[in-house]
Amino acid sequence: MESSDAELVSRVLHGEVNAYGALVSRYRDRYARYAVHMLGNREDAEEALQDAFTRAYRSLARCEDPERFGAWLFRILVNRCRTSGARRVRRGRTFVHDEAALMRASQEHPAEQTMWREEIERALGELNADQREAFLLKYVEDLGYDEMSEITGVGVSALKMRVMRACDRLRTLLREVHSA
Amino acid sequence: MNRPARALAALILVVGAVAPARGQDPRIDNRLDAPSRVAIKALLDSAAAQGIPVQPLMQKVYEGLAVGADGPRIVAAVRTLKVEMASVHRELGTVASADEIKAAASAVHAGVPAVELGKLKKQGGLRRSLTLPFTVLADIVSRGVPVEAGVNAIKSLVGAGAKDTDINNFQRNVSDDIQKGAPPAAAAETRAKAVPATKPDASKPEQQDQN
Amino acid sequence: MPEWGGGRTTLEMIVQELQHPVRLDESFERRVMVRVRRLHAERRSRGWVAVASRITHRPGWAAALAASVVAVVTLGLIRTWPEGRGHAAVGTAPVQFVLVAPDAHSVAVVGDFNNWGLNDSALVATNHEGVWSVTAPVPAGVHRYAFLVNGKQFVADPSAPRSTDDDFGMPSSALVVEDSTR
Repeated sequence: MESSDAELVSRVLHGEVNAYGALVSRYRDRYARYAVHMLGNREDAEEALQDAFTRAYRSLARCEDPERFGAWLFRILVNRCRTSGARRVRRGRTFVHDEAALMRASQEHPAEQTMWREEIERALGELNADQREAFLLKYVEDLGYDEMSEITGVGVSALKMRVMRACDRLRTLLREVHSA
Repeated sequence: MNRPARALAALILVVGAVAPARGQDPRIDNRLDAPSRVAIKALLDSAAAQGIPVQPLMQKVYEGLAVGADGPRIVAAVRTLKVEMASVHRELGTVASADEIKAAASAVHAGVPAVELGKLKKQGGLRRSLTLPFTVLADIVSRGVPVEAGVNAIKSLVGAGAKDTDINNFQRNVSDDIQKGAPPAAAAETRAKAVPATKPDASKPEQQDQN
Repeated sequence: MPEWGGGRTTLEMIVQELQHPVRLDESFERRVMVRVRRLHAERRSRGWVAVASRITHRPGWAAALAASVVAVVTLGLIRTWPEGRGHAAVGTAPVQFVLVAPDAHSVAVVGDFNNWGLNDSALVATNHEGVWSVTAPVPAGVHRYAFLVNGKQFVADPSAPRSTDDDFGMPSSALVVEDSTR
């Protein structure tokens, strides 16, 4: 049976450092998505995610609710993405990690799909960081406003306004693209 | 010494080097279970057949014995190292020394793709050993420098003809900066710029490779 | 369902696209764990590092000792000696290993160069008021090594780059010795 977050955290805190690998495995892909869309490229996202996991390990004893380690880690990641600096949308990869994965991606996502994704990423890049963060948390990560408020430290009303403005802006940008 | 005697001496040296793997090392015989000994022997034989240096694999066995690891764990470690060495052996080619392969495997273990190490070797040329640059790359990446930033930093140092002492200083400075709280990528990028170029046309390393 | 009014289909498509999973390279986990294990090892060996920093605050002789330790540190990763120095065999170089550990009872060096032999008398350090050192001929090449403190605790060399091979959960360091005969 799979160990719970709380069990793994406890084992790590008792010196079983390798148990942390299970937590990394559990959350890396789930949170990579947020980091990639927030920062605009895989390399920065991996760096931010690595940093978040490292910080989480370093302050693991301060995780007040180990059963919700995932949410606590996500908060660290969101903050890390905020301080990551300007978003850079890289058109091409300068660094290949996995040729096979790239091949699969090109087969699963033919040219049109790739272009659509690039347009979306470009449009996301046009949003300011607050709006992008709010939009991703609400609609891509499917969080409730209370949860978003807890993670970001921003009030619910302000978050709703940011989400609304993000949606308007994205709609406008992508309509302009398709009507051009 | 005449030629046949030299050949015999060389053969004895080779046999002597791999003899521990063939059941003649009391440390291994006394401490490792039989299935693990068999597995390790198979890995060593396979490595030798592929032209991969065997000594680092044996050293991994001894390391495992020294820390009291059990047989399966040692086998897993040897297997991982062999895979890593095989991947860099393919990328670096036959010009790479055993030390370069060992150091490059360490960089792969830290997360650097073998193909990037192959590119560094091509850039570095045949005359220069990249044992130290690979070792430093492994170190800084394990300290948190993103792989791409680490590779680019080492690439710029090698391309500029930086001496080993400069690369050594670079490693120490990056390590100190990170310990003082600097973002790892910024530390590596900044310190790589500080190393002076020594090649006459260091600004165009591509031209050097074409010579 | 999103409550943004007109343009719902477009934004639904955006969300659907953005919700595609992102798969990271398999080496990601290993890279994170290399860092995590390093932190773990640093915590465990913090006692030795803390001792090293204390010694720099003592006057007089300790400053001289600290200078000699610094001299080793500045050599850093590379050990290379000109021909004729020391009595090392061809293809080896004498390397000084230093660990500041006043509370230790014994310190030895183990590594690739002696096949991690725990009972190698040539690599047992001598103690000079808490500064343990040993000089030994090390073959040219790249080596992993560690200090063995009190016969049971493996400690990485605080002055050397860390080795990334953490298969056994033990801290170790990397050393490159150049062949001065070439």
